[in-house]
Amino acid sequence: MLTPVEVRKQVMDYLEATECTILESSPLHVTVKLSPRADRMLTDRPYYWGFVERTGVDPETLSFSFVFDPEKYDELAAQAAAPAALPRGGAVRPAAGPLPGGIGTAGAADAEAGAEPGAAPAAAPGGVVPPGVSADPEDSILARYFGIVPQLPRIGPGMIRREDVTYGSKRLRQIWSAARDEGKCLQLFEDPGLRQRTTLFSAAYEPWLAVCYKVEMTCDLKREEMHFIAVSLTSGLIVPDFEARLASRELTPRLPENIHIQPSELSVTAGADRLEGYLTSKLALLDYTWAEEARERLRLELSIVDIYYEELLKEQDEEKRLGIEEQYNRRRKETTWQYEPQIAVSAVTYGLFHLRST
Amino acid sequence: MTQLFRNSLPQGGSTPAPLLPVPLSFERNWLQDLESKLDKGGPWGDWRLSRLAIQGEQSGLVTSFDELQCLKHLSGLSPLPHQLDTAHKVLFEMSGRAILADEVGLGKTIEAGLILKEYLVRGLVSKVLILVPASLVLQWVRELNSKFGISAVAQKKAYSWGNDIVVASMDTAKRDPHKELLLSQEFDMLIIDEAHKLKNKKSTNYLFVQQLRKKYCLLLTATPVQNDLGELFNLITLLKPGQLGNQGDFATNFVVDKRQPKNEVQLRGELSKVMIRNRRGEGPVNFTKRKVRNIPLTLSLEEKELYDGVTAFVKDQYQEAGGNLSSMLSLVTLQREVCSSRDAVFVTLVNLIKKLPADSPKRERMMGLLQTIRTVKTNTKAEKTMELIRQMNEKVIVFTEYRATQEYLLQYFREHGLQCVTYSGGMNRGKKDWMMDLFRGRAQVMIATEAGGEGINLQFCHHMINFDLPWNPMRVEQRIGRVHRLGQENDVVIYNLSTEGTIEEHILHLLHEKINMFEMVIGGLDVILERFEKKESLEKSLYKIVLEARSDEELRSELDQIGDTISELTHANLDESEVAP
Repeated sequence: MLTPVEVRKQVMDYLEATECTILESSPLHVTVKLSPRADRMLTDRPYYWGFVERTGVDPETLSFSFVFDPEKYDELAAQAAAPAALPRGGAVRPAAGPLPGGIGTAGAADAEAGAEPGAAPAAAPGGVVPPGVSADPEDSILARYFGIVPQLPRIGPGMIRREDVTYGSKRLRQIWSAARDEGKCLQLFEDPGLRQRTTLFSAAYEPWLAVCYKVEMTCDLKREEMHFIAVSLTSGLIVPDFEARLASRELTPRLPENIHIQPSELSVTAGADRLEGYLTSKLALLDYTWAEEARERLRLELSIVDIYYEELLKEQDEEKRLGIEEQYNRRRKETTWQYEPQIAVSAVTYGLFHLRST
Repeated sequence: MTQLFRNSLPQGGSTPAPLLPVPLSFERNWLQDLESKLDKGGPWGDWRLSRLAIQGEQSGLVTSFDELQCLKHLSGLSPLPHQLDTAHKVLFEMSGRAILADEVGLGKTIEAGLILKEYLVRGLVSKVLILVPASLVLQWVRELNSKFGISAVAQKKAYSWGNDIVVASMDTAKRDPHKELLLSQEFDMLIIDEAHKLKNKKSTNYLFVQQLRKKYCLLLTATPVQNDLGELFNLITLLKPGQLGNQGDFATNFVVDKRQPKNEVQLRGELSKVMIRNRRGEGPVNFTKRKVRNIPLTLSLEEKELYDGVTAFVKDQYQEAGGNLSSMLSLVTLQREVCSSRDAVFVTLVNLIKKLPADSPKRERMMGLLQTIRTVKTNTKAEKTMELIRQMNEKVIVFTEYRATQEYLLQYFREHGLQCVTYSGGMNRGKKDWMMDLFRGRAQVMIATEAGGEGINLQFCHHMINFDLPWNPMRVEQRIGRVHRLGQENDVVIYNLSTEGTIEEHILHLLHEKINMFEMVIGGLDVILERFEKKESLEKSLYKIVLEARSDEELRSELDQIGDTISELTHANLDESEVAP
């Protein structure tokens, strides 16, 4: 769980790393014009970007107002607008325009039903919001009629859509996954600092293969762990908490001047073997009561299934029996699928880190 | 440094990795990616983004086997304690296979959403199928998206099945070609709403669901035991065959006769392993109050004349037809309509006349009634309604049984400058949603002819006016249920209009004083009615009484009798500890 402040930090880091243009920013929100790079990752407009690539036009990226603390933000906005504010009329929303005269009769004229909501989507992709459609994409009539409506890009200046970005929001998840897409595979060098450039001797650098592993322990329930570990490709030494080792160092993607990298004694594959071996031995030390318990549950469930079908499988009619047998096997498989304990390990990020030898 | 050889470094490598008590698999695609980037010299990822990705993973890490994670992912939703308890129980005690059998209005959908969200957050579920009645598809999609941030889509075309989380109607899903497609897949989670439609194990629905391959499974129903314990057995067998033993065991252990369980404590214990039933009366669920205001009205002279005319006509016709009820339905309708509006009577009367042979002697009498209708210039009820709406000056829903009345009211209100919308059963889903939106947004009044079992949720409104009353208590309850439900923050005020000296007065007396139905917040009305209606539907009994009663006194005493029977059943139902845990 992240606080709005923490969420803001995550989003700002992403926007900065992807070179977006911050138009306005406060502790509660940020208004940003996305960089082409971020736009590609976040706005889900492959056709538009295909068009840009093929025609070579200057891309027009989208702008957003990301609000991190919607409640406070609205409060402030309301205060700012207080003098002009209308008396709050219960659930009455600000109308987008004068009330069309047809509302009263619309209900009576049942024969024409459907024409009104049906006509709306045709207008929407052009960027025109039909009057009466609320700005909240999940509560609009369109959304009600068509299920979820993908947020339509509204191209053009001045179209800045507000979006609440809180922990658990789709946007934040998307930003993380975009960050992973672009940041998972690394090759980095420790920045030796200015002094190294003027020193006579070239500095020795040690290559490390580092992987941030995610360990998923699964039965009918699940627990996860993360392990950021690295192996030196020269010495084979394994460092369990590699993040700590990186913490004090500046890293750069460019090969610095006046350094040399020690030759690897381990191939990357061999390094990976080492890491997996190490992680396995670490995992072996864990408590596996959960797995035993899951197996016990599985045994119990299977025995219930067995007893239930035992009688039924005595069915004389061959065809019926086959059907029951199929059902029985399916149910057994489902049960195993549901309870069987297992551990799956995947890599969140990975890469080579060249660090100054110590 | 010692001389080293490739792949033969000191320490490690040679000692085989210890065996774990659990199968372990390493995903290794990353290695190929890294090697190919090394070959090509990039492109390399951004370190800042990489750290961001790690922090993202870290923040969402499921650090414990047995703690609900989903709450931190949900903003703007605060589930009620019983809903959280339910989610917790289904996840950690029932391993994700359960019947959610809360009484109506306690938020089964929320519970199912919580459970689904938790499994999604934990990464235990990605492929989900949700089967619901067609009329609820979009509502489910909407709720999952807006309340839970779950990207569910409604099944529209064949390609919709390709999505990870699909909501579809049972009727579509069980038909080819969809059926075949679905049976060839595996679903991490299957959710079925209105699961009581699955209790017949020979039905296509049942067989279809039985064949679907699923890991976790939720069956939602408000009425797990309606008629027959065998049906409950079938439902459980769908979920966990064998949980109650086989059919024979079940029958000998738990069943006395169809409706009566034995070894109740034991049965309850077994059931609690697969079924959760929260009830309205218990727990910390606070429903707001229902306040009932009966508004007695006196008909104008012209209206009274019309009423008497119609009543006499109806009775005479019934006598003439020799008490044959089935042909009398339209007459009863007439009798009821005359309490609503002259417009409603007019339409029915004209239709009746059209059906008569040209030389029928009844014709003249009916034409006479039409003449009487002409003399009625005002509608006492509509005037009173107008006055009520003006007084409350808040959103209000007006229910009527008749389309003609609905249209009349629409005209009448509009002439008097009220903004109103209509809502009726004939509208398609999109239009219904649209009307609801308008009501929520801009109109003060909604005039509805249908309360429908399907979800119109109008928690934002807490006034309702029964312009006329259905004679079926379930329909009255449905009406109230539109506004008096979870999420309603105000006491609900129910206005019942009844015209003095008409049948309406008696019906209201029956429903209000005898069945006490407007204030009955505890559920179980359906069960009570079902028992009452073993022989004949309540509505029909009422018709008979109305047509046959020779005097007002007789009418009253007959209705009282029905009321007494029902209140007895109600008490019996309350005392009786039901099967469900």
